Amino acid sequence: MPHETPTGGFKKTSSGKRLTGIIMNDYLQLHQRAAEGAFVVWIAIVVPAELFAGFDNVVYAVPESHAAMSAGKGVGAVQCGKAEKAGYSSDLCSYARIDLGTAMDGGKDSPSFGMPRPHLLVSNNNNCSLLAKWFDVYHRVWGIPHFILDIPFCYEEQTPQDFAYIRGQFADLVRTIEGLSGQRFDEAKAREAVCLSGEALREWKRFTSLAQHRPSPITAFDSFVQMAPILTSRGTQQLADHYRALADETEEQMRQGVYPVPDERYRLLWDNIAPWHQLRKMSGRLASLGANITTASYTYCIGSLEGTFDMYAYDGGDPFAWLARLQNFSVCPHGMALRARAMRQAVERNGIDGVVFASNRSCKVYSLMQMDQMRFVRDELGIPAVMIDVDHADERKYSEEASFVRLEALLETIDAGRRGNGMNSGNPSI
Amino acid sequence: MNGILETLSGMKTGGRRLIGCFPLYPPLELLHSFGLTPITLWGMRDAVRDYGTGDRHVQNYACQVARALTGFVIDNGPSLFDALFMYNACDTLRNLPEIVHAGIRETGADLPIFRLHVPALSPDRTGAKDYLRDRLRLLMADLERFTGRPFSAKAFAESAALYAKQRSFCREIEALCTGGKMPFAAAAPLLERAHFMDVREHIALLEEAVTHHAGLPENGSGVRVLVSGIQAPPVDLLRVMDASGLTVAANDIATMARSYGTSPTGSDLLDYYAAFYFDHHPCTTILPAGDRRIKLLGQRVQEDGIRGVVFFGEKFCEYEYFEIPYLQETLNTRGVATLFLELGADDLANLMPLRTRIEAFAEIVRGDSV
Repeated sequence: MPHETPTGGFKKTSSGKRLTGIIMNDYLQLHQRAAEGAFVVWIAIVVPAELFAGFDNVVYAVPESHAAMSAGKGVGAVQCGKAEKAGYSSDLCSYARIDLGTAMDGGKDSPSFGMPRPHLLVSNNNNCSLLAKWFDVYHRVWGIPHFILDIPFCYEEQTPQDFAYIRGQFADLVRTIEGLSGQRFDEAKAREAVCLSGEALREWKRFTSLAQHRPSPITAFDSFVQMAPILTSRGTQQLADHYRALADETEEQMRQGVYPVPDERYRLLWDNIAPWHQLRKMSGRLASLGANITTASYTYCIGSLEGTFDMYAYDGGDPFAWLARLQNFSVCPHGMALRARAMRQAVERNGIDGVVFASNRSCKVYSLMQMDQMRFVRDELGIPAVMIDVDHADERKYSEEASFVRLEALLETIDAGRRGNGMNSGNPSI
Repeated sequence: MNGILETLSGMKTGGRRLIGCFPLYPPLELLHSFGLTPITLWGMRDAVRDYGTGDRHVQNYACQVARALTGFVIDNGPSLFDALFMYNACDTLRNLPEIVHAGIRETGADLPIFRLHVPALSPDRTGAKDYLRDRLRLLMADLERFTGRPFSAKAFAESAALYAKQRSFCREIEALCTGGKMPFAAAAPLLERAHFMDVREHIALLEEAVTHHAGLPENGSGVRVLVSGIQAPPVDLLRVMDASGLTVAANDIATMARSYGTSPTGSDLLDYYAAFYFDHHPCTTILPAGDRRIKLLGQRVQEDGIRGVVFFGEKFCEYEYFEIPYLQETLNTRGVATLFLELGADDLANLMPLRTRIEAFAEIVRGDSV
């Protein structure tokens, strides 16, 4: 297939511009409140940040999100290099290396001037357990307490025993912050934050579900970028309003016939974390081929229970309970059968023609089931799949040409299937 | 360690019911008390040379341990084992039960897999001990159904006594190395056989070695070093260390000191495993134990007159790699020289570059003039 100049794909909309303002404001607020004496917590992405809203003066930062932003802004490799110079292996997760590099260099080269130094580290071993080791580095070097949330991996659906265990740890976390910060926890405020998160997730689902339309009004790259405030603004009215406007705007674009890949011929699903350093390039080049990655397991899992595709709504009850039940939502903390179940729903509902498994050297927990998942997609779902090598934040480990050779082969296989001599006719996929 | 497959096949043919376990610290005593022979599937570097089967299921940026384990169990599991057991550790390993199971089922066979979630919390955290107890009760019930025999406190106490004796002998072997009466290159394969043998037979081997070496004169005149890693380094490299004038006087190897360093007492199973997991000898795979590990290494360095530490890094082992820079810096600050060597699946064919680095390190810690 000839490689044309990228014309479509990812475009900055008014929601995109608003998003930039939100993220900038979030980091400014974070620095400002920290400077004014707020209690600062660094968290893993799945830690229920809504709980912090129950305190008058607790702010939180998300190193993974900051690392993704750094990679997206083109400074990922620079920060990785600093960590590597300090002895951290280049085989370690690039988020971790970016974060360590940023922290060790006092925030230099960071798009947000880094993050204010924390009073407490809260990791969570379900999304990835290496995060506990990563946060341990700060715990030792800076002497900061480190609270680990131990979340059992879901090979099957979360059990009542696991649920109770997780919920108990949330209560423990609240007591820990009370003890360290001297502030009292107000459950009503946390409940309000959970309500707002529930509202935001409902709008998020409305936005991502628009990918069912042909052609799709969104690309997965839009959803990758737009997920950022879920991490930095959780439990706020701002987040709910933003996602409502995002979904409204996207629906309006549909009414006007504006689509990112108007001549959409291939609808693809992406499995893994976004390649932050490649969003614009990859989406543009795919669009020039008539391909749209409309759907991503990385973003359709948000707001759902493990192994499902639909929204898990907050019923207004115990906020701790809702947060605990959702604790395995992201793809990493659940097993093969659950991943397959959700992926089947995504493929069927969104009319997916092929799956791109991004084998991500920096995320073993997401990646190390993909070889068997590929067989599942091919054999059980009957659509072709391809595996490409990526690293979510270290562009030095990514080859655009090698990836596109395989992506183009995937598109050819889809074409062959449509002509009746593809995998459904006994011709194996790639 | 050659002949793991043959050893296990012989045990199976002899009528034993083998249960393949991973990762490093399964509840051996409990499994043994049900009449099973637990085999800890770790450190099979020499048993798996062809990664073809593993690589069909696991990307090659997983560690050698995971790749070897996957291939070995898929290829040999149904004929060797009656069941598998796993508990949670790192990100790679928690994916393996389903990957291995899928691979086995592709061959048309099947194996039951028992799982245990060990809390990655300190015991003072709310719910940690109760959760572990609850999980152990479920495991016991699963084992009762699987073996068709009820849990026996008496059998458990007997099994616990056997493993306590084995660990005690292992520590004696290590003391012989520390005292210069036994070269570590000879001790390491003997200690690692713990994972692939019946516990009684291993005790007999250990006892014989202790008796033999205890009467020998001290011969450890080299510079005393400690070796660390998630599995033992190849014996060839340990011999190079000996030949270079380094005496391995202590170890922080996961399949050795970290495995036999903990030996709880008491007959109540639930208390026993609470002590086993919450107070375990520090290991990178046990999240809350990280701080204790640093203290313990410092203590060993001081007590055993250690002048150098060699970290045998397992390529792609994130748990180890996050701790090593801090450990190196801390040790260097205390005047202890450190060497970091990385070993991956593909490095075993040519150990010469590693040999050169060990020899250079030996010159540094011996204080040879350059």
